[in-house]
Order: sequence, then structure tokens, then C-alpha cells
Amino acid sequence: MYHHDGDDIFVIDSHVHLWDASEQNIIHEGGEQFIQCFYDYHTSFTPEELQWDIDEYRKYGSDRMLEDLFGNAAADMAIFQPTYLTDFYDEGFNTTEQNAELATAYPERFILNGTFDPRDGEEGLEYLEELDDTYDLQGVKLYTAEWRGDSKGWRLDSEEAFRFLEKCVELGIENVHPHKGPTIRPLNRDAFDVKDVDDAASSFPDLNFVVEHVGLPRLDDFCWIAGQEPNVYGGLAVAAPFAQNRPGKFSEIMSELLWWLGEDRVLFGSDYAIWNPDWLVEEVIEAELTPEHRAEYGVEWDLETKRKVMGENAAELYDIDIEEKKRAFRDDEITETFELADHYAGGEPAAAD
Amino acid sequence: MASNSSTPHDASNGPDRAAVRDRLRRVTDPELDRSIVDLEYVDEIEIDGPRVALRFTLPTAWCSPAFAWMMATDARDAVEALSSVETTKIVLQEHLHETEVNRGVNERLSFEAAFPDADGGIEDVRAQLDEKARVARQYDAVEALLEVGLDPARIVGLRRRDVERDESAGIAAIELSDRGFTATAPIEPIDRYLEKAKETDIGTHPGDIFFRTPEGAPIDPDDFELVHRRGRLAQVNMSGQGGICDALNESRRARLEGDD
Repeated sequence: MYHHDGDDIFVIDSHVHLWDASEQNIIHEGGEQFIQCFYDYHTSFTPEELQWDIDEYRKYGSDRMLEDLFGNAAADMAIFQPTYLTDFYDEGFNTTEQNAELATAYPERFILNGTFDPRDGEEGLEYLEELDDTYDLQGVKLYTAEWRGDSKGWRLDSEEAFRFLEKCVELGIENVHPHKGPTIRPLNRDAFDVKDVDDAASSFPDLNFVVEHVGLPRLDDFCWIAGQEPNVYGGLAVAAPFAQNRPGKFSEIMSELLWWLGEDRVLFGSDYAIWNPDWLVEEVIEAELTPEHRAEYGVEWDLETKRKVMGENAAELYDIDIEEKKRAFRDDEITETFELADHYAGGEPAAAD
Repeated sequence: MASNSSTPHDASNGPDRAAVRDRLRRVTDPELDRSIVDLEYVDEIEIDGPRVALRFTLPTAWCSPAFAWMMATDARDAVEALSSVETTKIVLQEHLHETEVNRGVNERLSFEAAFPDADGGIEDVRAQLDEKARVARQYDAVEALLEVGLDPARIVGLRRRDVERDESAGIAAIELSDRGFTATAPIEPIDRYLEKAKETDIGTHPGDIFFRTPEGAPIDPDDFELVHRRGRLAQVNMSGQGGICDALNESRRARLEGDD
């Protein structure tokens, strides 16, 4: 939990990965380009003294991930969003199974999302069922720009995709996280176009669509769609680290999001390990909207809003009882490992900075 | 970062540097709607008599080839519009597709010929980005008119012929003679809007409704506020993406310098 002016903010990092871009896992030049591109985003939006070197960035492993997420209690819980990219990486970049290593070891701390790819047809439907049988999924991360053989992407409003969304409804998988963000080499920019979310969201009102990276560089299309579809949410990964080196733009983007979506439909995410919650959470919580933006948009980045964006909104989507979690975290394994008992004891909390 | 090296050649029969720069200033990064000169993409302008060579670098080696193509062809065409220029050579540097872009632009190929693997041509992409730029610029133009006292109902009803530019005075006069109304606004936001409106085929005829929704329709007075908000949003989107490009550019330059 983040202690902010004497108040606690329970943090659910809604977008994390345990990836493997080690050289032996790369089977296509796209895999090398992809991780190098991620690294560009990492270095461009991480304070210099906190930047990783490329080798640790390729594969950091589960111990380091636990330490980064929970070591200073920056995050209380995290949601795994898999990215398969099996044409690029032999074992996949971060598959549900790879992420499951940590998620099943610390089920109280992690939510494990699955995925589907409509291009897989019948087999894909079976795989989704299998994942759900094994991990009891509450959500799926979707990567419409993923390459698969000759195909350079797929659309969420296609007939094939709708079959999978129907399957999600049937299986009770309520949260759909399409990745709609900045260009990542070598993927096709247009495959991140956010407009296909519109039809999917209105056709499946019982599903929640959390658009990861708030559609950037199509924030305008995203906000317009979200303004009309009440089941569309925005995941802050990529926008969040603006707080650190582009605070004016962070203020502007956050103001737009709060104006178009309201404070109940924006979710914090670090996109770990692109950015690290161990510094990012503080940057976002301590960020301020400029007086000009507050006046122009009539929105506030106040304690109540921060609580929602940093944790409560994700808790709502994933049926997490925050108060119960706080009690459980007084003596769970993570708390033992990182000596966080005082932190979760209530009363006089230890500082988590 | 951006430097203009002076060349030893006699440039007396060619363009002067300021004129070339002025032409380049009008070329925009289509995604950000900002001048490539202000964005410091232009590294070098070489002038050799009536021949001009332009070297430029984008924020990343993997910036969209389609955008790189648009900037390269626009820069070429802008400079060649000067009567003192015979040929312009484009040198995109440090880009993964520099070979295809440079060859295609300098040999005047079509985008499809230069990039046979690309799905689709460049015109749709350009049209979409031009439309977004128009919407963003409309915001500033409408703000300028609100500022001088036009109310939303009048603004949505404006036609092209109601807007009279006076370049020497630096103003745009709004004259609604039948309603006995006159106001003057600064010309700059109006001109910027007009430029993009023209590129998107809006407001080219005297009777055309001047301001439109992002979909190109006239604005219902009841929707004025919402449409205006969408203009602001289009600006924030561009400046947000500008922030990403800018940060990538900064760290890339630092790394390139560090490697030296």
C-alpha cells in the first residue's frame, strides 16, 4: 500500500508480465526487434539511475519480479497479462503458463489472465476452455497485432473474434484486455487501431473491455468510443510513466481520461518490466494536475480518485475485497519474505517509499 | 542537434537557405501535426547551385515507414516548389527502411512500388491523419472566435464566405452582414485551420459550412460543446504522442552520443 499524506492507497498493478526474451528463446528476427523496441520505451521513460541493462531486461526471473513488485510494498497485487508472440519466441514471450509459475505460487497476490487468438479456430476455443479449466480465468489479454504465419493481425469485431467472445461469456470470463498502444517494431501500426473495440463492446454488454495503453496514439478514438460504451475502460500502462518526465502531458492525458470516462473506468498498470512499480507507483500517486487543467476539465486527481484508479476499479472488475486482502496480507508469504508485517498492521504504518 | 552546415559552393544561382527552411517549416510530421523543422528532424540542408540535398533523422529507427515516406515526399515537393530549385535529394538517415524510402522518393516511385509488402497505399493513412489535424486546428480557430465574442450558434452557422482574411493586418474578419455582425480575430489560427480544411476538402466553396464534426458533418448547435471537446482531445492525443516521440528521440540521441 502506498502511504500518502497519512492515508493508505491499496495498489493493484493491472498490467504485469514475466517475460523471456533471452537470446536462446528468440526464433525470429521480430523477437529481437520487439525486445529492443521495448527497451527503447523503458529507457525513454525511466529515470536514468533506475534503468536496467539489456541483459537483465531480456529475462529477469520470478525472484526479481517479486522483489520489484512487493519488496517495498509498491504494489499489493498484480494482474498478469500474457503476450504469446509464439512466432517470435520459441516458448512464447510471456504465456499464461509462464506467468502461472508465480501466479499459482502466490494466488493471493496475483490474478492470472489467459488469452485467445481467433485465428486458431476450433483449437483456439479448446485452448481457451483448457486455460479456464486449469486456472479459472476472470480475464483475457488480447494482442490483435500479433503475427501468425502470413497474418499480421486480426480484428476484435470480426465474426471469428465474436465466437471467442461468446465463449468468454459462456465461461464467465468477464474482462477482456485488448492491447491498443504505441507502435512496437516490427508489428504493424494499424493493427493497434482501437476502432474494432467499439462494435465488440456494444455487442457484448456483459463483458468489460479494458483498452490497454488507452489507445495511444489514438487517445481521441479511444475516448470517443469509451464515452459511448459504458463497458469500456482504460488501462494506464504507457501513459503512467509520463508522470515522471512529462508531467504536463500526464496531467493533460489524465484530465481527458477523467473527463471522458470518469474516475471509475481508469486502471493503473505499470506494464512491468517495461516500467517498474517500485518507483512508478509513487510518481503517479504524487503527480498533480496543473491548475489550468483542473479548471479546464473540472476533474481532480484527489485521494478518492487515486484510490479508485490505483486499485479499487480493478478490484471491482476482479471481485477483490480490498479490506479482506489487507487483513490477509498481514501474514502471508510475501509479507513474511519482505518483512511487511508492520506495513499491513494498520494503526502506525511503516513508510513505503 | 540540428545544424545547418554551410557549403563552399557558389549558391548564387540557387535558393537561399532561409527560403528552403521556410518551405520545410510547412512540412509536418503527419501524426503530430508539427513542423519537421520545429521537431528538429532536419539535420542538414546542402545547397549546390540549384540542387538541394536534405538530410533528416526521425525519433526512432523504427518510426512508421509510411510516415517517413510522407515527410520525405512532402519535403521534396515543398523545396522543389521554389523556382530556383531544380532537384532535391532526400537522405533519410538512421532508419531501418532508409534504403527503400530514399530510393523511392528520389526515383519518384509510388509508395506501393517502394514498399511492395505494405498492405494498401498511403492515401488513406494520410487522409485520416489530415482529418485529425483539421479537428485539432479547428479547436484553436473556434477558441479564437469565442474569444472575440462569437457565440456557439453563430460559430456553427459560419460559412466560408463569412470569413474574410486580411493578411497585411494579420486578422480574419467575420462578417455576417445579413445579421449586422462583424468581429475580427487573429489570422493565424484561422489560416492554420483553413490549410487543413482545404486538404480535407472542407470549406472550399463560398457557401460551405466552415466548421464540422470530426466526421465531416455540420455541427448541431446542441453538440457544439461536445464537438469542441473532441477538438481539444485530438490536440491532447497529438501532443501525447509527441511526448512519446520526443522522449524516444532524447534517449536515442543520448545513446548515439554515448556511443561516439
